[in-house]
Amino acid sequence: MEGAADSDTPVTERPAADRAAALARLLHRDCTRLLELYKERESFLSQHAPGGERLVTLALCPEALSTGEQVGHVRSALRRCMGLLECLIVREVEEMGEELEGEYESLRKTVRDRLGHLLHSTGALLEEGEGGCPPSPPLQCTEGQDEVEASGSFAAKIWTYRVLLELIHWTDSASQTLHLFHSEQHGQQQQQQQLL
Amino acid sequence: MTSCGSDIPEKSESFMFPQDKVVPVGSNMTFCCIVKEKDDFKEMMYGRQEMSATRLSRRTYAITVTNQPASGNTGTNVICCSQRLTLTGAVVFVGYPPGDEGLVCETRDLASAECSWKKGRDTRLRMKRSRTKYTLNGRDCLEANERKTWWCSSKVWEESWTLVARNPLGTVQLTDSAQLTDRVHLLAPVNVTAVEVEAWSATLQWSWSVASYKKLEMVCQLQLFAHELSSTRNYSGPGLSSVVLESLRPDVDYTVTLRCGSKHSFWKWGNESAPFRIHTKMDRPDALDVWMWMDSSNTGRVFWKPLSVRKSHGALVGYEVSQSSAEEDGRTPVSLPPGNFSYPIILNNSSDITVAVAARNPAGLSHVTLHALSVISFPVDSQLSVSELLGTNGSFVLSWQPNVNASSGYAVEWVPTGCSGLCPVDWKKVPESDCSFTVNSDSLVAGVRYTVSVYSLSTGALTLLQRWQGYSQEMIPSQSVSKLSPIQTGSDVLLSWKATAMEHQRGFIRGYTVYLANAAHLDLIANISDPEVQSYRVKGLSPSFYKFVVKAYTSAGEDAGSTVDIKIEMDTADMLFVGILVPLGIMFCCLILISICCYKKREWVKKAFYPEIPGPKVPGDWSSPQGPLDVKPSPHSLVHIVENPERDFTKEGLFLVPEEEEESENDNIEVDTDSDEPALLRYYNQVVGDGSHSNQVSDSSGSSTASVGSTQTEITYAGIQSPTSSQGACGGGGYRPQMQSVAGPAEPQIEFEADFQDDGLNTGYKPQCSWQLDSPEAENFSGSLGSPTSVTSSQFLIPESSEEKPQPSNTWFHNFLSGKS
Repeated sequence: MEGAADSDTPVTERPAADRAAALARLLHRDCTRLLELYKERESFLSQHAPGGERLVTLALCPEALSTGEQVGHVRSALRRCMGLLECLIVREVEEMGEELEGEYESLRKTVRDRLGHLLHSTGALLEEGEGGCPPSPPLQCTEGQDEVEASGSFAAKIWTYRVLLELIHWTDSASQTLHLFHSEQHGQQQQQQQLL
Repeated sequence: MTSCGSDIPEKSESFMFPQDKVVPVGSNMTFCCIVKEKDDFKEMMYGRQEMSATRLSRRTYAITVTNQPASGNTGTNVICCSQRLTLTGAVVFVGYPPGDEGLVCETRDLASAECSWKKGRDTRLRMKRSRTKYTLNGRDCLEANERKTWWCSSKVWEESWTLVARNPLGTVQLTDSAQLTDRVHLLAPVNVTAVEVEAWSATLQWSWSVASYKKLEMVCQLQLFAHELSSTRNYSGPGLSSVVLESLRPDVDYTVTLRCGSKHSFWKWGNESAPFRIHTKMDRPDALDVWMWMDSSNTGRVFWKPLSVRKSHGALVGYEVSQSSAEEDGRTPVSLPPGNFSYPIILNNSSDITVAVAARNPAGLSHVTLHALSVISFPVDSQLSVSELLGTNGSFVLSWQPNVNASSGYAVEWVPTGCSGLCPVDWKKVPESDCSFTVNSDSLVAGVRYTVSVYSLSTGALTLLQRWQGYSQEMIPSQSVSKLSPIQTGSDVLLSWKATAMEHQRGFIRGYTVYLANAAHLDLIANISDPEVQSYRVKGLSPSFYKFVVKAYTSAGEDAGSTVDIKIEMDTADMLFVGILVPLGIMFCCLILISICCYKKREWVKKAFYPEIPGPKVPGDWSSPQGPLDVKPSPHSLVHIVENPERDFTKEGLFLVPEEEEESENDNIEVDTDSDEPALLRYYNQVVGDGSHSNQVSDSSGSSTASVGSTQTEITYAGIQSPTSSQGACGGGGYRPQMQSVAGPAEPQIEFEADFQDDGLNTGYKPQCSWQLDSPEAENFSGSLGSPTSVTSSQFLIPESSEEKPQPSNTWFHNFLSGKS
């Protein structure tokens, strides 16, 4: 993992929260790069960003008071992002087929795989679920596209852009939250060791 | 296209028309943008190009694009935007209609059909819905539509085929027709295997995945690869499934591939089988190429050339050498490990021997190569003359006269000259039809002398035909002459040396050059073109230090040279000669110069050292030194005789000496004996000197034993001789004033007192000094002779300076002093 390169400590010896934070940072960089590649292909996105509401929100989640709860909330959002990403991939493959194997298509697959690992890692950190957020309904891939003021291929491009923005936002949030979570855990462990 | 009624309040959101259109390249299109209520419209863009929009209504804008270029993989984006945001947009797909061509159908299984074609120009339409769709004879072509391949299969051969390629921009139709047997394209053989692999052959078998192949008359092509070499072999037959590969090589790794085709109406080769490896078995090695070389009358070596991999037929494990002769039974073979390529041979009083050499590998022993050697016909020290052989571009080009006895051909042997023991002997056997051969430079070393021999080969015999010695390429000698020594003989130097050893010559020595080394370069003084000459005499060398360089040269040039130096010195005799005679010569030169100067300045010398004594004025000629000088005594000479009975003889005094008979040089002078006058006194001059030394003055040449500087000259002045004979009766010649006289009556009694000494010479008056020229007194001779007070001479002592008469040799000094020449 790229995050493991940030520390000389072997990955297997690092705390789970720390590893999850590192994975979140790596995934955040991948998502940023993915959007860059998409903008290179659809150049209008660099010049005139489309507007619109967020695709992933935590409106239904209670307020997160603890760091652990925040981790839960972030994980809930990431799960939503995962659904959106999978819809994105299915649609693009449906439209373009699987013949295109450029950097965008390859990184898209990597992001999906790492996002899945991150969801698994954060899930192992949580003891009481995802901070009280209600379970999300199954995502319909066409969901959200109606909100785009367009139709057809152009609407799909705008929607893809928004999905990639969500991925960037929530992986960044996950990175910060997991880092804070790890710091708190580390501090608690040191206090316990001192008491002993 | 016209979309009516969208610019209405019920449809307040932004929207663009048309959406997802597919148009051909070069088309013109108009896009309409309906801006959301209260949104600001800024511009419309087609791809990256900003377009000039036309306002159609309150919130409707339009652009028109002409000659649209092909779009990218995801189409061309047309957007309508405000100052900051993209309000709405559309995607247009611009591409080409299908360009497929070249439909060809064939059968792989002799039943179904596979039709393939060329894709043609890219349509630039990547979206699935815009891709080209294919149908073959009205049926969808799944392979082409799903996998994006360009072939389509049909279960039944229909002999006529029609392929339709369609996309949103157009349709193309391709056709083909043929008989099935004309379009047979076989699949690859399967299960290829080798059975009965031998050393020189192998049987290959395979099978077919299509049963109907067994009845098909086919031709199969087999590719053999081995050691980077490949060969192709064709086999044919109905349903061919095995072949026998002949002419293989033992112990060789072959890789085999196989493909087949229809023999009748051949369409194309089928698919190639997977490579298959075959390793042939070993076989006995080929016979060795053997040669024998004798380095003495009874010793030699048998050589053989290593077998190539091709001829080894398997890795060799060793060699076997055996020797036999007519007198002895065959000996036990000697086994040698591989890597040995020679073996010593010793002849024990055998005239004919046979050596057998064989190679062995795991498959067995090679055929024995017999090398018969007849000592008689193969003498070591052959009397055959050896010719000089010159290399040609590093090779030896040989030719010889055909020999009728060469039933087995000829053998050319070359070996470094003078080699003994394990020598790098090389040879080549040529057939009897060849009478020439070139020894390649690969087997020759430049600068090495080789002995090249040609033998005729016949059953059991070798005959030496011709022999040369030469260099494939001559080089300058690696060592120069040795033992270079100089021997001085007078002013000559004899240089001698010994020739360079043959192993260091590196070429035929053509001669020697002799140089005289100066400070900066060498001066050639001799070029000896006869290599047998090993000495040279350098003549006429002056005493000095010399350095000589002698170089041997071949056709390639001179060697570095040997240097010797010598210092030339004069002989002892010469040294003495020069050391003694030179100073002596200088001294005599100085004397001569002084003499010349004195002669030139004789007047001054005379005046300075010997001033002229004024002479008496006398009549007549007084210059004649020969005749006696008759002098009439002056009256003062008369002496009154006083009777004195006693005379003290201790007192010196003059007394009259009776005249004696004596011989004189001047007998012819008339003497007046009858005159009353007092008798004339006759003076004569007699010079007594050592005439033997008078001519050895200033001889500065020749003998080194002559003694110089010992000349003496005595001048004695004679006494006065009386002309009368009576006077001679007194027992003395002439006038002797100091003698006691026995007076007669007519005889005047004269008595003189004089300091007179009788020195035993009865020659008259003698002055009282006797001097030598080079005696110490001679330095003061001017005082004794020139002084009027001490010398009385009968002749002029100093001749007149005006007279230049040749003087006799015995008076040269006198003349020198007188200033005469």
